[in-house]
Amino acid sequence: MSNNGNRWDPKKFKAGEIPDTSVTLTDSLNNKTGSWRSMKPVIEDKYAPCIKACPTNTLIPQYFDQLIRGNLDAAGWILLEHNPIPSVTGRVCPHPCELGCNRGRYDQPISIREIERFVGDHILDKKGIPPKVETGKRVAVVGSGPAGMSAAFYLRRRGHTVVVYEKEEKGGGVLRYGIPEYRLPKKIVDREFQALERMGVQFKYRTTVGKDVTVEQLLQEYDAVFLGHGAMKERHMGIPGEEHFLSGLEFLWEVNHGNLTPPGKKVAVIGGGNVAMDVARALLRLGAEPIVLYRRTEKEMPALKEEVERALEDGIEFRFLTQPVAARKENGKIILTCVKMQLGERDRSGRPRPVPVEGSEHDLEFDAVVAAIGEYVDTSFLPKEALDKDGWLVADRKTGRTPVKGLYAGGDAVLGPATVVEAVGMGRRAAEAIDAYLNGVEDYKPAPLPRTVSFKYIMTEYFPKAPRVEVPELPVEERIKDYFKEEVLGYDLDRAVKEALRCFSCGHCNSCGNCYVFCPDYAIKWVDDKPVVDYDYCKGCGICAQECPRGIITMEFERLF
Amino acid sequence: MAMRLALKGLGNRVMATIPACCWTIIDGAWPNHALKIPLMHTAFETAAIAASGIRAALDVKGEEDVTVMAWAGDGGTFDIGLQALSGAAERNENIIYVTYDNEAYMNTGIQRSSATPYGAWTTTTPVKHPESRPKKNIMEIMAAHRIPYAATATIAFPDDFVRKFRKAKDIVGMRFFHILSPCPPGWKIPSDMSVKVARMAVETKVFPLYEIEDGERVTINYWPEGRPVRDYLMMQGRFKHLTDEQIEHIQQFVDHQWKRLVHLHELTHGSLPEEAQATLTSR
Ligand SMILES: Cc1cc2nc3c(=O)[nH]c(=O)nc-3n(C[C@H](O)[C@H](O)[C@H](O)COP(=O)(O)OP(=O)(O)OC[C@H]3O[C@@H](n4cnc5c(N)ncnc54)[C@H](O)[C@@H]3O)c2cc1C
Ligand SMILES: Cc1ncc(C[n+]2csc(CCOP(=O)(O)OP(=O)(O)O)c2C)c(N)n1
Ligand code: SF4
Ligand code: SF4
Ligand SMILES: [Mg+2]
Repeated sequence: MSNNGNRWDPKKFKAGEIPDTSVTLTDSLNNKTGSWRSMKPVIEDKYAPCIKACPTNTLIPQYFDQLIRGNLDAAGWILLEHNPIPSVTGRVCPHPCELGCNRGRYDQPISIREIERFVGDHILDKKGIPPKVETGKRVAVVGSGPAGMSAAFYLRRRGHTVVVYEKEEKGGGVLRYGIPEYRLPKKIVDREFQALERMGVQFKYRTTVGKDVTVEQLLQEYDAVFLGHGAMKERHMGIPGEEHFLSGLEFLWEVNHGNLTPPGKKVAVIGGGNVAMDVARALLRLGAEPIVLYRRTEKEMPALKEEVERALEDGIEFRFLTQPVAARKENGKIILTCVKMQLGERDRSGRPRPVPVEGSEHDLEFDAVVAAIGEYVDTSFLPKEALDKDGWLVADRKTGRTPVKGLYAGGDAVLGPATVVEAVGMGRRAAEAIDAYLNGVEDYKPAPLPRTVSFKYIMTEYFPKAPRVEVPELPVEERIKDYFKEEVLGYDLDRAVKEALRCFSCGHCNSCGNCYVFCPDYAIKWVDDKPVVDYDYCKGCGICAQECPRGIITMEFERLF
Repeated sequence: MAMRLALKGLGNRVMATIPACCWTIIDGAWPNHALKIPLMHTAFETAAIAASGIRAALDVKGEEDVTVMAWAGDGGTFDIGLQALSGAAERNENIIYVTYDNEAYMNTGIQRSSATPYGAWTTTTPVKHPESRPKKNIMEIMAAHRIPYAATATIAFPDDFVRKFRKAKDIVGMRFFHILSPCPPGWKIPSDMSVKVARMAVETKVFPLYEIEDGERVTINYWPEGRPVRDYLMMQGRFKHLTDEQIEHIQQFVDHQWKRLVHLHELTHGSLPEEAQATLTSR
């Protein structure tokens, strides 16, 4: 700096001239330190364990990232890549994803399902865009439950003509005629079908495959057929007097058709599964007094824990270790003869086998009895070549392919009574396999899943402990009075974002900038809001890989030859 | 890294002095040195006085907006530069003095300095005779001069680091920074662990993050949940030889120092934040 205020300009520097202060001609970028390297960092998104645990493989941290940035539409579109009905799963999914969530090993898992519901509802009326190109290929879908909906959505998205055959007068399967209103409002199901219609999916209602048209006919008429007809056959108990019982599915079907008169005041509900819980809780809301009879104890109940807890909160009476063995009708009442059970040795399912206690027979009097002890798949109308020797439908879990060329299947029809999310996942995977088949790909195999970032790669130092954001719900006293009021109110935007901010974003770079801050060699460049390694300067120290809070950067050996 | 964060806080109207130390090498010689700011390499013991001189010259020229920063190692600060530093502090020179403390004379081959902590291996305190004295408390020495601002910082807490440099920029008078700077060869750690080790130093309360204003008012900036010092020591080869008793000795020393610091914070602020209590009981 000279006295007259003219600054020394390094660009005009001539040899032999010395400025009056030590200004540099260059900077640290002069020294390309990249040649010192023996290891190199590689920046690459991986899979979060929640993604792997969700049967649809929804890219959870990826859409959370968009939600947090305020891009709600973008979040919705990412979600729809793997799950076409997030408004439904966001309400009724048993959320296996939350069991996989890394944060569960730190404080509490992310409330993934509630965030999904919020984003799903945001995109609900925006989705349903028809494909840009029609392929002219035609696919028939049997059944309009979640499996059929999912297959139809992804096939139609790829430009194929999709015709859905449904024996009921409206679509949705269990979503419409099984799950009660207070858990899944039928308005939501309606809007899901409006979206499918906007896409151009065609529906043939009141058409039963096997009766009005055969599978063989469909196979001839269409380029491919997807079976998603569910598991809607009710098991029988095989006890005398059973003909006086209603089945769980029948009862819920009636209620969902608007028949809101309970079959009696004091009603026995036999079974310990989800259907039994829905029956009992629906009965309560319709003014009856349900009593659940289950032959094992609370611990062994196959129903979701969450559902059992809600039933108990509702104040529903449970009689455990109670097994009906006979029934008779007397003066318009049903007398159930029951025996007390005790738990014996474990059976093949790992649960203790209930054995009757000698001399414990007793009679219980009810106005009506609903039995919900399990469902199975109707295979009577399927081609024999698609069944195994025990009569079960054979289909590959990853592609839905059956032994019959062009015939695919998914959901409860393949798995037996399972979950909505499994049906959705299988529907999508089958759609992808069918698409490959229609494009003439022989021996299609889905791509393997990327590597998962396990908890040990998460730098928990960056995440202060924080409890889950509470989910607003109706108070118990209020919810048990009204069958039509949705009991879980769900997150609003603020809560959804706040909860999403708890997410570690395992394996997904959310532009946190740690690698940029900590690289000692200016070797991380920031391009389009993402880090990029500049290998001219990176000397492979590995700090970025250590300090990435979410396991995105891995160090690999530099290959010289 | 520390230099980058410091300059992020201070902006580009900065001139620096650097005495003999590793940074002499990192930066390199004029006219191709690595920092974009004007810079003067000084003799080992003269960082503070040279910075004072530049400050005086700038003031004469009326360039008061330029910040002058001395940037020295622990050897150049705790040991040989201490008299020049003390003089500058006593005169309350309008400069920022930063010591990046890697706890030994690293540039010349890992010899002990008065900043080397108890128990550490260096080439002059071999495993048979490891460092036997506790680390010199440079923050207390500087506070004793009643200078307007003194603070600790580390690269593992970049936000805290940059915030403190921004704050210091706007203070007039002597400002002092004590920065813990892990040195991979000197501490016998893999280079990718440097940030983790620095973070662990803070988490174990070995190196608390705090500020002292006007030499008296103490504010703790980060309340660690608390982890045993063993976690910090065992990350580093230079402490591998320590016995359980020695580690316990260090733990007690660290706990005692922390209690003192918390007490000073309480004296300054009249009360303690909620998270403080846990830090006194847990390890
Ligand atoms: C009462 C109840 C509550 C449940 N609650 C939950 C829950 O909370 N969360 C969860 O994840 N899962 C729940 N489930 C399970 C879940 O609903 C099923 O796993 C899921 O619906 C299976 O989907 P799907 O598409 O395979 O079959 P379905 O939903 O059963 O759909 C099959 C469709 O095919 C139609 N169909 C059948 N046969 C023919 C034919 N021959 N021709 C034409 N159409 C035909 C049916 O009418 C129906 O619409 C529940 C099940 C029940 C019964
Ligand atoms: C008066 C004087 N004595 C000794 C030296 C040799 N010398 C140069 S750098 C250095 C070590 C500096 O140690 P420190 O200040 O801790 O910085 P580090 O190298 O650790 O970064 C020494 C002893 C010197 N340059 N001048
Ligand atoms: S923290 Fe986020 S990304 Fe990681 S498993 Fe949980 S929800 Fe998925
Ligand atoms: S669909 Fe179910 S398992 Fe998948 S992310 Fe949503 S809540 Fe989780
Ligand atoms: Mg040193």
